[in-house]
Amino acid sequence: MKEKETLLTQLADCVLNMEDEEAAGIAEEYIEEGYPAQEGILSGLVVGMNQAAELYEREEYFIPELLICSDAMYNGLDVLRPHLPRSEGEKKRQVVIGVVEGDTHDIGKNIVKIMLEAAGYEMVDLGRDVPPKSFVEKAKETGASVLALSTLMSTTMGNMEKIIRMLDAEGIRDQVKVVVGGAPVSQLFAEKIGADGYSENAVEAVKLIDRLMEA
Amino acid sequence: MEEKNSCAQGRSSQKERLYSAAHRTGTDRPPCICPGGMMNMISKESMELSGCFWPEAHSDPEKMAGLAVALNRAGGFENYGVPFCMTVEAEAMGAQVNMGNSLAEPHVTESPIRGPGELDKLKPMDLSAGRPAAVLAAIRLLKKEQESSGVPIIGNLCGPVSLAGTVTDMGVLLRTFRKEPEKAERLMDFVAENLIAFGREQIRAGADAVCISEPSGTGEILGPRFFEAYSVKYVNRVLDALEVPVKIVHICGDLRSVYRQLAGLHCHVFSFDSIVNISEIKPFLEGKAVMGNVNTHAIGTMSADKVGTLAENALSKGVDLLAPACGLPVSTPLANIQALVAAAGRVDSGQA
Repeated sequence: MKEKETLLTQLADCVLNMEDEEAAGIAEEYIEEGYPAQEGILSGLVVGMNQAAELYEREEYFIPELLICSDAMYNGLDVLRPHLPRSEGEKKRQVVIGVVEGDTHDIGKNIVKIMLEAAGYEMVDLGRDVPPKSFVEKAKETGASVLALSTLMSTTMGNMEKIIRMLDAEGIRDQVKVVVGGAPVSQLFAEKIGADGYSENAVEAVKLIDRLMEA
Repeated sequence: MEEKNSCAQGRSSQKERLYSAAHRTGTDRPPCICPGGMMNMISKESMELSGCFWPEAHSDPEKMAGLAVALNRAGGFENYGVPFCMTVEAEAMGAQVNMGNSLAEPHVTESPIRGPGELDKLKPMDLSAGRPAAVLAAIRLLKKEQESSGVPIIGNLCGPVSLAGTVTDMGVLLRTFRKEPEKAERLMDFVAENLIAFGREQIRAGADAVCISEPSGTGEILGPRFFEAYSVKYVNRVLDALEVPVKIVHICGDLRSVYRQLAGLHCHVFSFDSIVNISEIKPFLEGKAVMGNVNTHAIGTMSADKVGTLAENALSKGVDLLAPACGLPVSTPLANIQALVAAAGRVDSGQA
């Protein structure tokens, strides 16, 4: 029998060390020992993902590494999630995320999604090449707290502004925070189109959204 | 800087100026260019001026050439450049493309393969049909135009990592770089071979320069190890196989993590994003001409005066070729492009 602490460390290490094929096995072992799923996620997998994010911030890891870390995290999550207790107290904050219409580059968006998921947000992923209307409709439908818009192409940045104007027109602009990101986007641009925030990378995006949610 | 009109004797043609700037052999003043391809130069106004509109101009050689010529004639960038997007190669390999409209450039909506393991399902580019043939025909038309105009023609290629990450999912490709490098390399080999063939035909059709843009094969995404192993290696493989007077490479994003790798690129001209500090990167680009890097959002939205000031700032920091830092928004006012070109025109290197 393995100690809970040992297995939690192993779960975190699987994620941090990109052992995506081992993560499910360790998670199963953890559940078989009768330890709580919630703790396995928060004190195991998420710890590993946060450590990976630290290495990313220090430029020891880059996107290929983060992707494989996230594969390990999701493989573990697939095993642990069905064992979560049914009645979860507080409802998680929702973030609707997507790449705006005209662009199909979605690596950045996917990384932001991974990091926000690890930080405890419930993600609604609209994918890529998403028309402005779909963002607005999804925001209304879900009552999401945050709309996160991404693009890699300078030619499609105008769609970000369009989405904000549509939220204005629908009278729901004050109900949802809009954050923008992607290579051509800047703080200056975010301010100009009236977004609530800009972040340069996925780790900063989590900090930004945490900050906006506290305010 | 005392005199505005310093090039009284023997004004260079735009082509000569590009060559001299790229080879750093001394120019009367820096050229102001925008290669095309990923680095979009086309605006709504230039479409209206030429009567050649997107999306037709992406497939019709006469409209493609007409659009490139109109912008230059109107006092725009001092080059012709085609195509106007990064989807030509991927489409010819089997990707589904949404051709966009007059305001949005084409983009790939579906990749032909799910991962590098499905390489055998990729089509080699047929250069005698479809949009690759249209690009080559447009270059031939521009070559005729050049006889009287002296304007250099830049052919554009999608960067090998970006192209590989378009014909298959970029996330899958990045994982493969790490986990199954042999498979990744086989895909990269295929992509590079096709780019070489397309590049050679562009040169045969009349391109004076070739520009390879890597929006995805960047230092920020890959980190130094994979940037070296994939971006530098395969960009160089393509460049080495092309015989053309001017070779330009543009890499997007913050380059700090890969400054040391940049010297290894086999290009004459290196172009980069506006977040990169010119004075900081210059020591790492010894022997290369530096091109850039005026913020495209600023060019797209600010006053012409402000654009002129930003351009002067880039010039004073030592760019050898003045250029936007990325693709321009289609809404960019022509006056702002003219202001950029005018700023390069005001430089007096004292060599005229």
